Amino acid sequence: MKKLPDVLRDWEAVIGLEIHTELTALETKMFCDCRLSHTAPPNTNVCPVCLGLPGALPVPNEKAIECIVMAGIATNCEIMERSLFYRKHYFYPDMSKNYQTTQGPVAFCMHGHLDLEVPAQEARERPDFSVRKAPDGSYAVPIRIMRIHMEEDAAKMVHVGGGEGRIGGARESLIDYNRCGTPLIELVTEPDLRTPEEARLFMEKLRQTFLALGISDCSLENGSMRCDGNVSIRRRGTAGVGTKTEMKNLNSFKSLHDALAYEICRQAEVLEGGGDVRQETRHWEPSGRRTVVMRVKETADDYRMYPDPDLAPFDLSDEFIGRCRSRVPELPDAKRSRYLTELGLSRHDADQIACNPMAARVFEEAVAIAREMAPLIANVMVNIAPTAKAITSRQVASLARLLATDALTFAQAREVAEMVDGTDEDPETVVDAYNMRQSTDIDTLAPIVDDVLATCVSQVRQYENGNKKVIGYLVGQCMKAARGNGNPKLFNQLLLEKLGV
Amino acid sequence: MTRLDQLSAAQIASGVAAGAFSATEVARASLDAIEARDAEVQAFLQVSADLALKTATATDELRAHGAKLGPLAGVPVAFKDNMNLQGTRTTCASRMLEGYESPYTATCVQRMLAAGATPIGKTNMDEFAFGSSTESSAFHPTRNPWDAARVPGGSSGGSAAAVAAGEVSIALGSDTGGSIRQPASFCGVVGLKPTYGAVSRYGVVAFGSSLDQVGPLGRSVTDVAIAMNALVTGGRDPLDSTSQDVPASFSAHLEDPVEGMRVGVIPALMEHESIAPDVRKGLADARAALEEQGAQITEVELSHMASAIAAYYVIGPSEAFSNLARFDGVRFGYQEPGSATLAEQTALSRAHGFGAEAKRRQLLGAYLLSSGVYHEYYYPAQQVRTLITEDYRHAFARCDAILLPVAPTTAWHFGEVNDPTQMYASDLFTISLNIAGNAGVSVPVGSSPASGMPLSAQLQGPAFQDANLLRMARALERGIAKKGLHMPDTVAPAFADRGGEL
Repeated sequence: MKKLPDVLRDWEAVIGLEIHTELTALETKMFCDCRLSHTAPPNTNVCPVCLGLPGALPVPNEKAIECIVMAGIATNCEIMERSLFYRKHYFYPDMSKNYQTTQGPVAFCMHGHLDLEVPAQEARERPDFSVRKAPDGSYAVPIRIMRIHMEEDAAKMVHVGGGEGRIGGARESLIDYNRCGTPLIELVTEPDLRTPEEARLFMEKLRQTFLALGISDCSLENGSMRCDGNVSIRRRGTAGVGTKTEMKNLNSFKSLHDALAYEICRQAEVLEGGGDVRQETRHWEPSGRRTVVMRVKETADDYRMYPDPDLAPFDLSDEFIGRCRSRVPELPDAKRSRYLTELGLSRHDADQIACNPMAARVFEEAVAIAREMAPLIANVMVNIAPTAKAITSRQVASLARLLATDALTFAQAREVAEMVDGTDEDPETVVDAYNMRQSTDIDTLAPIVDDVLATCVSQVRQYENGNKKVIGYLVGQCMKAARGNGNPKLFNQLLLEKLGV
Repeated sequence: MTRLDQLSAAQIASGVAAGAFSATEVARASLDAIEARDAEVQAFLQVSADLALKTATATDELRAHGAKLGPLAGVPVAFKDNMNLQGTRTTCASRMLEGYESPYTATCVQRMLAAGATPIGKTNMDEFAFGSSTESSAFHPTRNPWDAARVPGGSSGGSAAAVAAGEVSIALGSDTGGSIRQPASFCGVVGLKPTYGAVSRYGVVAFGSSLDQVGPLGRSVTDVAIAMNALVTGGRDPLDSTSQDVPASFSAHLEDPVEGMRVGVIPALMEHESIAPDVRKGLADARAALEEQGAQITEVELSHMASAIAAYYVIGPSEAFSNLARFDGVRFGYQEPGSATLAEQTALSRAHGFGAEAKRRQLLGAYLLSSGVYHEYYYPAQQVRTLITEDYRHAFARCDAILLPVAPTTAWHFGEVNDPTQMYASDLFTISLNIAGNAGVSVPVGSSPASGMPLSAQLQGPAFQDANLLRMARALERGIAKKGLHMPDTVAPAFADRGGEL
């Protein structure tokens, strides 16, 4: 099989994504009061409604509607005041009513878009000239969103006795209805993506957006965010639409990228060999690094969709939509550009903080304490304490101040950050308690430097003979003499002065 | 000695409250009446004697502790077997749910119990409410208490027969296309289909979700009004998003005169060729009685009535197919033993669990909703629905209620109506109401000179004017009593003196 860059020189890929996101931030299911949990023992969060028992009726979760409207606003969708739930019928035990409650032709959110910025190093997969690239090779493209609709998740099935939990060869199949009825939003893009990298970046951007909204934990690993990819290819320069295949089991950013890359190459090989691509659903096998056929679609399934008579049509008020709009926080893109232009952060630090809602919150609180130190605060967040779990804005600001006054080395700052993480201790106090404060008092440091220069005669001679590296040894001796409390930068400066450079 | 069936629900409740007799004595009398009468009537699928006595004992203890009793204290009530009541089975008269223990209690049942009612048992019905004669019950037929050779109507045939035979004072039924009003008419009792949304559907096994409505059957308009008060007390049910807040004031103005109120008649329907002569006579008596009570008769029109049956037999089966999809033998209900695959288990559980009419309606629904024909049937049916709703709106701008037949005939003999489409056609006068969602009530207006079978008239009213409709029904009942044609609280004569002594 040819490699992707070679394939993409001759072929253009047309990719669309369907992304399901569980609204894990909610406490209860879509149509009943059962609790949402990924960890509860099987079939403990169930009731007549989500078990589809005879006579039970659905009642929509208002908070879930708020979440999807927020998602729509954040992705530039038109919020439809009037929409309906539909019933989508299929017989399978994971859907307790044998129909899924979902939406019909009109979803809560329609016709949105997300602008994708593809950085230089990731732009290499797109060789064509249909996008305008910046001098460094990066480019931006708008990706249209067809719709975001609300639906309920199915139960989880566990197949026992078959290989790798698959149904084939299984002795028995167990059903856990805890997940049944979990509020799910499905976003469908238009087929505007052209490379696996764009698909990956779109998914990442969407994840960051939803995380910022606080509607889901967006865990690909735990399946709270799931992605199916549709891909077809066509000869570069042509406008036709090839037969598409649908990709399942893309449960990591890498799988999403690699499965699409594999599939594009596979389709190219089929077509170049004179064959036809079949419309089918394929399963990504990360271990074999390939896609395999799950099922072939010969006829369209008839789901007998019709409006759910148990759920009255929605008529969202301006007040409701306005309330949702007011709850949409500043999104990562806006944050990033504000960090760059107003706070003077580096591109890298701004990226790192803007896309992580927790980090952004701590960062902004710390900046509120000491705005002039914003870049240093960012430095603390990104480089000093990147793995801190519960560091507070006060602690971050305090660390930044210690660094600003040269009272702490970077290495020491990391140590202190680790010590205060999860406590309410002030780094200033810790530094003093452990006697870590770097002295920046020249009057204290100068005599130490003089002593060291007097003692280390041979090293001084080496320095004078051109071995400049030996300065490190001399700084070390100064630090040792100061019992670690002297500022190494100052020692360095004083040594150089006294050595007469 | 008093007999249970000589007392109205209000008399029982006040007697229990006053200590004239205990709830337990009333429950025993009801169970005794069933013992003496139901072998013949077969109104019940399950008599919940233990639950009834336990509930009655609790009511008596409440009274002993000086607590205020509910408006239905000690009143024996039966529930159609599509209503969940914990401690009883809910079978929908189907093999599919034979032995299915109710895992929770329906809101309508819960509210009757909250008002103090004693749950006597679960009544027979057409399987999953598909039918107009109760003959499609998978377990046994129910006989009409007025003539054991005739059907009680359906699908709430068991509920109507239990009330008519004096076994209970009140029964709940459900009405999707006439299933409360038609059996009430066949058995000579009062049956109200409330406005869609007035009574919670939560816990009532769904047939057609946009058409189904729970309502009470009783031997007088007064008893039906008291039951309605209980059903709406507590307000809108948070478990049914289609339910609405309705004030519990059905009794307050029941006896008010109807002078000056307008009753609409539709000449084309009153003289419809399908209407039997004795039913015509009943209608004429009803019209005269209403006029004598001071109501003004005025002509109105419902021009799309002719399309109602066609629209109903698209919408109803479509929703039924969808609602009954959950019966697959996986989680509950009949499961075909020894199946090799899931597909086989699902197919055979459904093939052997459902009866012929249930299968017919689901197959019809599966076809009507399929993508090729959806726009030819389901969509136009909904358009017809809009037209019929508009017809009613125009008609009710000109009158307070419409007088109609309930069914074209009195109760027919077992086996007399075999052709499904012939049976569907008998729903002509009841079905349009479910399509529009308005309220309707069946009121006894005498008996057939030819057969002695009960005659009834139907009054239909605008949405959420149910209390006003009952006021008109009460006026009709008064007028009919004054003419000596039918007395409220009448029990089918063959059963009036059998058991049930208090």
